[in-house]
Amino acid sequence: MFTARMIKLFAVVLDHDADKVTEELLREGVMQFINITEIEHEWQGRLNDVSPQVSLAKIAMIRKRIEGFLTPLGIYPKTPGEIDLENRRPVDLEEENKNLDRIADELQEIRKRQRTIQQEILKLEGLSRQIEMYGPGLTETVVSSRYSFITIRVGKVHKDNYQRLTDEMKDIPSVLLTIHKEEDAHHLFLIFMKRDTERAQKILDRAGWAEAELSRKLISLKPDITLNLDEKIKQLQEEQESLRRKAKESMGLHSRDLNRMWVQLRVNELFYKVQSYFKRSSRTMIFSGWLPASKQSSLAEKIIHAASGRCFLEWHEPEKDTALEVKEKNAPVKFRNPEFLAPFQMLVTNFGVPEYGTVDPTPFVMFSYLMMFGLMFADVGQGAVLALAGLFGMFFFKGKKEAWQNISKLIVWCGFSSMVTGALFGSYFGMAWCKPLWFDFHGIISSHPNKQSYINDIFDILSIAIYFGIGIIGFGLLFNWINLFIKRRWIDLVLDKGGVLGAWIYFGGIYIARYMIMYEYRQLPGSGVIFWLVGLPALLLYAKGPFNFVHKRKKGTGKEFTLMTPLNFGMEWIVELLEVFAGYLSNTLSFMRVAGLGIAHVSLMLSFFELARMAQGQGAAFNLWSLLILITGNILVIGLEGLTAGVQALRLNYYEFFTKFFRGSGEVYLPVSLKSRD
Amino acid sequence: MTTPIRKYAFINAKLRARISKLISENILQQMINAHSLDEALVILRDTPYRILDDIYRKTGDLKLGELELLKGEINLYIDIEKYIHGDTLDLVRALLTLYEIDKLKNAVRLFFDRKIRKRTIDTAALYVLRDKILYDIPVDQIINADNLEEISRALETTPYSAIIEKNSETVIRKGSLFLLEIALDHFYYKNLVSTAQKLSDRDKKDALRIIGVEIDLQNINWILRFRRFYDLSLEEVLTLIIPGGYNLGIGLLEEAYTSQNITRILHGIIKTNYPGLSTLLSSQQAESTSELLLIDRILERIMIHEIQRILSGYPFTVGIVLSYFILKKIEIIKIKAILNAKQYKISEDRIKGVL
Repeated sequence: MFTARMIKLFAVVLDHDADKVTEELLREGVMQFINITEIEHEWQGRLNDVSPQVSLAKIAMIRKRIEGFLTPLGIYPKTPGEIDLENRRPVDLEEENKNLDRIADELQEIRKRQRTIQQEILKLEGLSRQIEMYGPGLTETVVSSRYSFITIRVGKVHKDNYQRLTDEMKDIPSVLLTIHKEEDAHHLFLIFMKRDTERAQKILDRAGWAEAELSRKLISLKPDITLNLDEKIKQLQEEQESLRRKAKESMGLHSRDLNRMWVQLRVNELFYKVQSYFKRSSRTMIFSGWLPASKQSSLAEKIIHAASGRCFLEWHEPEKDTALEVKEKNAPVKFRNPEFLAPFQMLVTNFGVPEYGTVDPTPFVMFSYLMMFGLMFADVGQGAVLALAGLFGMFFFKGKKEAWQNISKLIVWCGFSSMVTGALFGSYFGMAWCKPLWFDFHGIISSHPNKQSYINDIFDILSIAIYFGIGIIGFGLLFNWINLFIKRRWIDLVLDKGGVLGAWIYFGGIYIARYMIMYEYRQLPGSGVIFWLVGLPALLLYAKGPFNFVHKRKKGTGKEFTLMTPLNFGMEWIVELLEVFAGYLSNTLSFMRVAGLGIAHVSLMLSFFELARMAQGQGAAFNLWSLLILITGNILVIGLEGLTAGVQALRLNYYEFFTKFFRGSGEVYLPVSLKSRD
Repeated sequence: MTTPIRKYAFINAKLRARISKLISENILQQMINAHSLDEALVILRDTPYRILDDIYRKTGDLKLGELELLKGEINLYIDIEKYIHGDTLDLVRALLTLYEIDKLKNAVRLFFDRKIRKRTIDTAALYVLRDKILYDIPVDQIINADNLEEISRALETTPYSAIIEKNSETVIRKGSLFLLEIALDHFYYKNLVSTAQKLSDRDKKDALRIIGVEIDLQNINWILRFRRFYDLSLEEVLTLIIPGGYNLGIGLLEEAYTSQNITRILHGIIKTNYPGLSTLLSSQQAESTSELLLIDRILERIMIHEIQRILSGYPFTVGIVLSYFILKKIEIIKIKAILNAKQYKISEDRIKGVL
């Protein structure tokens, strides 16, 4: 319900104990350091910065470089452990960079070879494309046509020149087939791109090529040509693939060293990061930061032990200390929610981090969000599909981005919520497979309500949503009172629109509205009741202006009293009243969307059933089309309605609930630890 | 008649979302700092450019990746065609012509290198885009042609045939494709401006302004080249200039060519039309940047300024569509420049200087 209580440490240790203390601070990983320069003190000027032995930026750069080698292999370096901290050794950044350059060069060599092979493949594919263009009609006429891009030659070379010809023709995209072998000559069939004629002719001349006539029989060799080309391309592709594998394997071989190097760099980076918050005097080191109060004794023990007792530790509690730098607003916020609430904590932090010491609404958000979602999307079958999709997401995003993990978990929760409300309303993929545990939502929407149920029309459903909204707003007001009580803001607690008077008017108004509904809008409660319920608190609300004025004057921050001052109070009062009446009314009515979307959900399903019935024909059994319509309908409803319900539930929480009490001015607690991400 | 809101609400919201996802300067900086091409490509793995890394790992061939990038860039336009219609669709098609003209230019250059300059084009021919954009451009036929007449015949069904036919004699006489390429560019901009003229008043204003700035960029670029590499008379230069520039009218371009001081003219324009950019320019001048680079930067800043003006203005105009294409093009140019620099092991400082 509340975030963790924090405490601030101000510590002084001897210069030569600094490294040991740093290691302990990192091992414990509970300190969120603050820059000593933020503390105003007379000795500020006498302190110097502690410059780390190596540049933090350079370490981070090399570390990222290593990640660049590892992540494409699917290797994500693990965060360092205590053992890595114990084995910490200074890093030689130049040397590490050279090692990485060597790996990069190795990779570059493989890439060069890959590029050469790829160009060969492209050349042969170009040739193949040209040959293919002629289809089965590769006739003499076509080949010799001016629009043909290929040249076919038949001839013979002396057997001694054959190898030379083969080797030299490799530089040109070509196919060279042996048709017939004689004792001292090879009869050959050659095909190449017309644009390479000059180069090819020179090679042929060197090989002593003797031209022969291109016979019909030879032209029919086309399948062999394409086969030969395909074979060549396949060989090159295999070679290419093996080079790709080689590059991967080569990186794989380095991965262990790279991992080790990464861990060393990370440990050093964190070590120097901690020390970057230290300040140095002639013989001492000073540091300061926030930690959860529950960790105070264990950290103190570790620091004292590391410094062999030669240290000075001063603790400041934000609630008690009046010093400027320890004021609550500076204390970071640490959530104390169990793991299963992580998706809902994500929803809260997405809106803002609660102010230190105020209510953390996460557990309540779980309840309110799921209730709203369930009411808008009530179906056991569709909920089960959502839950399965969420489970798949959890599996798919395992070890990847935390936000996606949390969204997947949220979908699972929403799925379960839909299943529960689906069972309450008796909806199973839009069908009534089981009797509803509460009331028949589908029956009400399709005008066949169960008359025995006490909820049997749309107005009853809308009333549920309104009462639900009143409950949520009520809790919002209650949380606001708790926050104001903790912060000792008594004037706001009583006289604010979110305070006791605001709530008095709100609930008074609800009573009056309910009374009118009971008497079918024909009668209001007595004027005395109205005065006590709404009139009196509305008049008392006027006192807020004068109270604030006096309070500020006492603190010396207020303005002078003039003739305009009472008028200003009056204006503020009128605006405040308008805000109370219009604001609370619209906030409450806004919850009608819960019922509205629930009705839309049921209506959509009913429409798909009607369509399916039309496809199936009068009195006929289910056919393929009707089944397809139902499946598509369910998919659409799950996709569209699911998203809408999720967004609307979030909107109601953010704008109708959070605005009553939440001040998102907090700062998240981010200690420097071995698990730190940045 | 479709209202601007109905016409642009969806597509412009979509494009604005895409604009917000353009690669950050931080990523580009990391790529510049990378020690090798492999390491620079890894940085792109979490971006829409992951394909570059995948292709490079598979083939070691950056050019193949670039070809894929070009296809992706063309697909941006084709993808958006689904959401627009009427005059806006015509404008997007007119913009696509640029890619087709580039494709044609590449093929003709290869023909020219092979046939006229007698150079080997084996490798270069592998990376020419062969996919259809608007018309059927028989790339292989052009590359393998014996003369420009043959190319013109092969392009019979396209508007480019007449342009090639008209310029073929000059190309052979001067031994350069420069004037043919300028003629193709003229065709592109003329077509683009005339398509933009047909838009509604508000769209026309935005479109002509952006196109005008691009024409300025092109004209300045040519003037620099005319001055440095070709000995052309002022009359000849003026016939080659593309009309429709936004900041640089014929008078200023004439002055730029004769005075040999383009930077001064651009500074004048900035002082009067873009006072917000003056500080940036004075700081760049102090860095003793080369004139060419400085001019490039000034023009790019002007373009970015125009885009920012459109993005912060009325949201339902064609300006958002044009801004998106330009921003995406700038992004792709930067990525390609960095990757090529990494391949050729160019130092970080030099890359930063050029970008």
